[in-house]
Amino acid sequence: MSLVISDVTKRFRDVTAVDSLSFTVPEGKMYGFLGPNGAGKTTTMRMILGIIQPDEGSVTWKGRSFGRHRKGLFGYLPEERGLYPKMRLDEHLVFLGQLNGLSRSDARQRTDLWIDRFALGEYRHKRIEELSKGNQQKVQTIGTMLHEPEILILDEPFSGLDPVNTALLKEVLIEHNQAGKTVIFSSHRMDQVEEICEDIALIHKGRLVLNGNLRAIKRSMGRQVLRISLEGNQDFWAKIPGLSLLESRQDYLEFRLSSHVDPNQVLATAMEAGQVTRFELVEPSLDQIFVEKVGEGA
Amino acid sequence: MIPVLVKRDFMSRVKGAPYIITTILGMLVFIGLTFVPALVGYLESGFEAGHLDVMVLEQTESFFPYLQEVSEDVYGQEEVRFTLAAGLNEKEAFQIVLEENMTGLLLVDPPLFTLATIDGSNLAQNSRLQAIINRALTRANAERLGLSEEEMGTLFQRVDLRVRQIGTADADGKEIDSEEYSQSLVLAYFLLFMIYMALVMYGNMVASGVAEEKSSRIMEVMIATVKPLELMFGKIIGIGALGILQFAIWIGTGLAMMGIRKTGLFGNYSQLGLALGNIPVSTLLWFGLFFLLGFFFYASIFAAGGAVVSRVEEVNQVVTIILMIIIVGFFASFVSFSNPNSTFAVAASLIPFTSPMVMFSRLVLTNPPTIQVVSSVLILLVSIVVGAWISSRIYRIGVLMYGKRPSLREVWRYLKN
Repeated sequence: MSLVISDVTKRFRDVTAVDSLSFTVPEGKMYGFLGPNGAGKTTTMRMILGIIQPDEGSVTWKGRSFGRHRKGLFGYLPEERGLYPKMRLDEHLVFLGQLNGLSRSDARQRTDLWIDRFALGEYRHKRIEELSKGNQQKVQTIGTMLHEPEILILDEPFSGLDPVNTALLKEVLIEHNQAGKTVIFSSHRMDQVEEICEDIALIHKGRLVLNGNLRAIKRSMGRQVLRISLEGNQDFWAKIPGLSLLESRQDYLEFRLSSHVDPNQVLATAMEAGQVTRFELVEPSLDQIFVEKVGEGA
Repeated sequence: MIPVLVKRDFMSRVKGAPYIITTILGMLVFIGLTFVPALVGYLESGFEAGHLDVMVLEQTESFFPYLQEVSEDVYGQEEVRFTLAAGLNEKEAFQIVLEENMTGLLLVDPPLFTLATIDGSNLAQNSRLQAIINRALTRANAERLGLSEEEMGTLFQRVDLRVRQIGTADADGKEIDSEEYSQSLVLAYFLLFMIYMALVMYGNMVASGVAEEKSSRIMEVMIATVKPLELMFGKIIGIGALGILQFAIWIGTGLAMMGIRKTGLFGNYSQLGLALGNIPVSTLLWFGLFFLLGFFFYASIFAAGGAVVSRVEEVNQVVTIILMIIIVGFFASFVSFSNPNSTFAVAASLIPFTSPMVMFSRLVLTNPPTIQVVSSVLILLVSIVVGAWISSRIYRIGVLMYGKRPSLREVWRYLKN
């Protein structure tokens, strides 16, 4: 019961955009699809949607390979936003709803609800081209969800939104997910991904680098991060093997701890050097994992 | 899925200013055509030579009587008046012409006739004077040869050639009325031009519609939801419906005005008026058929053309190539006019690129063999399917390509792939 991407490869002339990529998105999950610019995220999304066909490999949903364009199955927000500039806001949403198989009256009803929810009421009869970029993006995002698709694929849904709308969109996505729908989204904001995704896939240069449950990934990284702040000799750590400085901040020092180092040993050494005000073992942030994994390959 | 797309493409344009303006302008043209006969009649009066008042300078004074005779017999003193400049030299005579505000001074020295006038570019005046001189010359010559009036009539007798169109099934044939034929020629020109205009206008609309979808980046959302072929046909059908509506309004206006004109309110019929007033129903049906077939054939090509560019501004470059082909068809029709059953015309009426225009013209002008008509329509139908298939492949790949316009070689690769 899941979306399975297996051994998918796509080449454009001499460039291999996606290279035997496999991962599984369990049904009903909120899935973060990550990767640096040009990693092949958009190409992969397009292959999932059936916009382009993979050269090799397959994409299946619930065990079946679906023909192109199963009506209403997907909602898709591409990275390049676009709407018909001359259409009116409400008319456009009704059109998108009907396109995805809703009846006209159904589409109208849902359009009204969403317009209220996203506070677009005063613009409802305005042409798309008269709206601000942020509002256009809201309209387009609503358009992907109007028909309550089984799989929602959003490419950078938060970029360009102000904090209020970002919070609103997060809330909406979580709601959609709680209704049992699968949500896949990409983002460059790792904190947002950490906040709402259970599972992630990280790709780089068309290949899978990491995937699975985010917490498990963090645990499996094997290395832990240690934050210490103390009053006294700040260079105490140089004597401890297996400890490397990640970041030196005003409020604390952050170290990477090799697996063979005993944190208690470190604490003892630190206490000798001065008054310890903070000693904290933390999991690496997704940001750090991202930089580390992507940096490795570069 | 397609009805939603058709409706969007139709509704979003039908309410737009460009469509409404062209529809109204077209209606004005059709209304204008109704008044053309009356208008032409009015303007023609301005082209007439008007009153001729000519001073004649002739040494021998032997030709002058003939001039006077013709002017009296044919036009009367009011219209044309010749005065002999007796005993004056050229300078003095011209002085009088200027003073008395006469038409000009005619210097007669057979076979040399020269008109000195201050209004030399008045062609109507010049040709009328020439006609009078020639008639007078004929009379003078006839008298010199001793021919009677009757003998002269015999000498200048004219007949018209009657033409009878004989078919294998119709041995008696049907007489071709040259008046009627020239009327159908006018009609064919007019309707041919309408088909040409429709192909250019609505074809362009399809191409720029596709390019707009690309440049506004809605395309990716659309083809994630519907098949490219559906999207393409939705647009073609939607715009085709716009075209049908527009032409129905225009032709309806024309027919309504025709009805009004039949009451004789606007004076006599001109040739065009007459031709349009008697459009046979069959011609209208052929027009509808070839309008639609031609549109569907070219529309998918225009759609593919729109799909290979990234921005609306680039559409023209691609559209120009397609327009050239349509223009070739348009001129092929013109060439066929002089002989609608020539090998050239028959061939052009079978080739799908030119057949919508050429076959239609032939149908209006003559009775092409049924086998040719049927073949033409069938070839066109097959070509529509093949063309749509090829175009949809280009379209499918083109719609997601941005940046550089693909070269012909790349387009070829899309097709093979």
